Amino acid sequence: MSAKTNRVYVHPLPVRMWHWLNAFGFIALILTGVQIRYVDLVGLMSFRTAVSLHNWVGFVLIGNFFVWLLFYLFSDKIRVYHPELSPVKHFRASFRQLQYYGYGIFKGDPNPHHLSVYHKFNALQSMAYQIIMLLLVPLQFVTGLLLWDLKRFAGAVDFFGGVRVVDTVHVLLFIFFTAFILVHPYLASLGHTPLAHFKAMVTGYEDVEEPPAGG
Amino acid sequence: MTRGSPWVRIAAALLAAALLHAAPTAGALTDDDNACLGCHGQEGLTKTFGKGESLPLRVDGAAFEGSVHAPLGCAACHADVDLKTHPGATKDYASVRAFALAKAGVCQQCHEDAFKQHADSVHARRIREGNAVAPTCTGCHGAHAVTPKTAYQTCVGCHAAALAAHQKWLPNAALHQEVVSCAACHAPAALRMVDLRLYDPATKTWAAEKPGEPWFEKMAKSLDPNGNGLDARELLELVKSINPEGTRAPKKFRGRIELRNNVEAHRLAEKSAALRACDSCHSVGAEPFRTVTVSVTGPDGRPIRHPAQNEILSAATAVVSLPEFYAIGGTRSQVLDVLFILALLSGIAIPAGHLTIRWLFRKLRSKP
Repeated sequence: MSAKTNRVYVHPLPVRMWHWLNAFGFIALILTGVQIRYVDLVGLMSFRTAVSLHNWVGFVLIGNFFVWLLFYLFSDKIRVYHPELSPVKHFRASFRQLQYYGYGIFKGDPNPHHLSVYHKFNALQSMAYQIIMLLLVPLQFVTGLLLWDLKRFAGAVDFFGGVRVVDTVHVLLFIFFTAFILVHPYLASLGHTPLAHFKAMVTGYEDVEEPPAGG
Repeated sequence: MTRGSPWVRIAAALLAAALLHAAPTAGALTDDDNACLGCHGQEGLTKTFGKGESLPLRVDGAAFEGSVHAPLGCAACHADVDLKTHPGATKDYASVRAFALAKAGVCQQCHEDAFKQHADSVHARRIREGNAVAPTCTGCHGAHAVTPKTAYQTCVGCHAAALAAHQKWLPNAALHQEVVSCAACHAPAALRMVDLRLYDPATKTWAAEKPGEPWFEKMAKSLDPNGNGLDARELLELVKSINPEGTRAPKKFRGRIELRNNVEAHRLAEKSAALRACDSCHSVGAEPFRTVTVSVTGPDGRPIRHPAQNEILSAATAVVSLPEFYAIGGTRSQVLDVLFILALLSGIAIPAGHLTIRWLFRKLRSKP
């Protein structure tokens, strides 16, 4: 017997556009970043081309970030980012989700997270995306902007402790985002079919199984 | 008297030796020099050349007194002046330009090494081609106020449009012009190095030793007892010694790419031959980053340097000891490289491991 499924519109068009532009932009930033940092080991393009591309893509993604920010600020969909205010509830849900990824998924347990329009992130995603989108991504953009023109932003660079501090933060975040961009597609393949979440990020609709009666 | 006169050469050599051991201090001018300045310190004295051009003969006494040549005195460079006939007949020159070209020979008496380097430079070539604005010695260094200046200060005197020209193709062009000596790229055959100069944020100038109060070399030597150059730990100690606990605006080292031997700055090449390849500097082990010095500005404006090991540029401690110097690639931190490799391996291994376990347990999931 197959469970009844509903189509739920979880990814509005601006979010899908932001997501794919951000995804390909981050890949471009990582590749050009690797070329810039490891010019003695990597030969994808010239250093100057890599710097130029890195700067342009960076500015596009800064603009794109504001598409995401303004969309959520001016729509009720911001509820998907509302934090769970009860720490007990949040950590219990996070633990269940960790248990599912680390154990339950291997033996076929159902995903403890039930997706809905205003509840599209599980507890782990909710916490991770709040940190990523409100702290790490802006910090990466700010440090990138400062490094783009160190003379123009000399005062801000001094405020943050000097160019080496700014660059070290930028590189540490680059390292984090490199790992993220590798793990993220794999986690996205853990839907009810391997391509379900990918299709949803194209069409906007997720196929969601109805919870069992009384469940 | 000619330029080649052996007596002039001997006198010049003796004077140069005296100069090397004499620190220019205020009031260094002799009575003879002051006698010259009695007339040449006045406004309005000029010399007229054949083409009707005139050259002001006024010398700013204070500027000369502060110049590196002050200990030599007037007569060292003006040995052709015969006081018995002065200000009577002297050798006639057709123009101010001809006079300046002839006077370059006076500089050569002491600065033979610079002349050798200069001989094949773009400036020397332009002079030989008859270019009327190609600089002679005084064009870059001045005549009576020769003081230590950065190459940038010297070059932009004529090449004022250089920044705009660099901004067309060079990212962070203004910063490059501040931290890379012009000659580092425009004298491509010269050897480069990183000089980490102490900067004082309180005064917004380079930190300088006061006359008669040397401390930098003594402090650096005490922290580098084996004399093999400061390592990362010793540099950290140096920074702490310079800025005792509680210092409000700590002095910091700022890096510049300079020439290992400044005389090589005379080997300026044609613009087309200048270094444009970014990886000349922005790669691990690039030539400029192999030689490193830490320095403070001396009382006369010239740097007082102490050698350092090049590992200090990429050490993890550099975040504290060198927060204001970083060059992509050239000062790449190995700690961050290791973290990047770990992130790459984790990003591949975690999904691959998880996928493998799922595949191994696939039969468990297919059971009703």
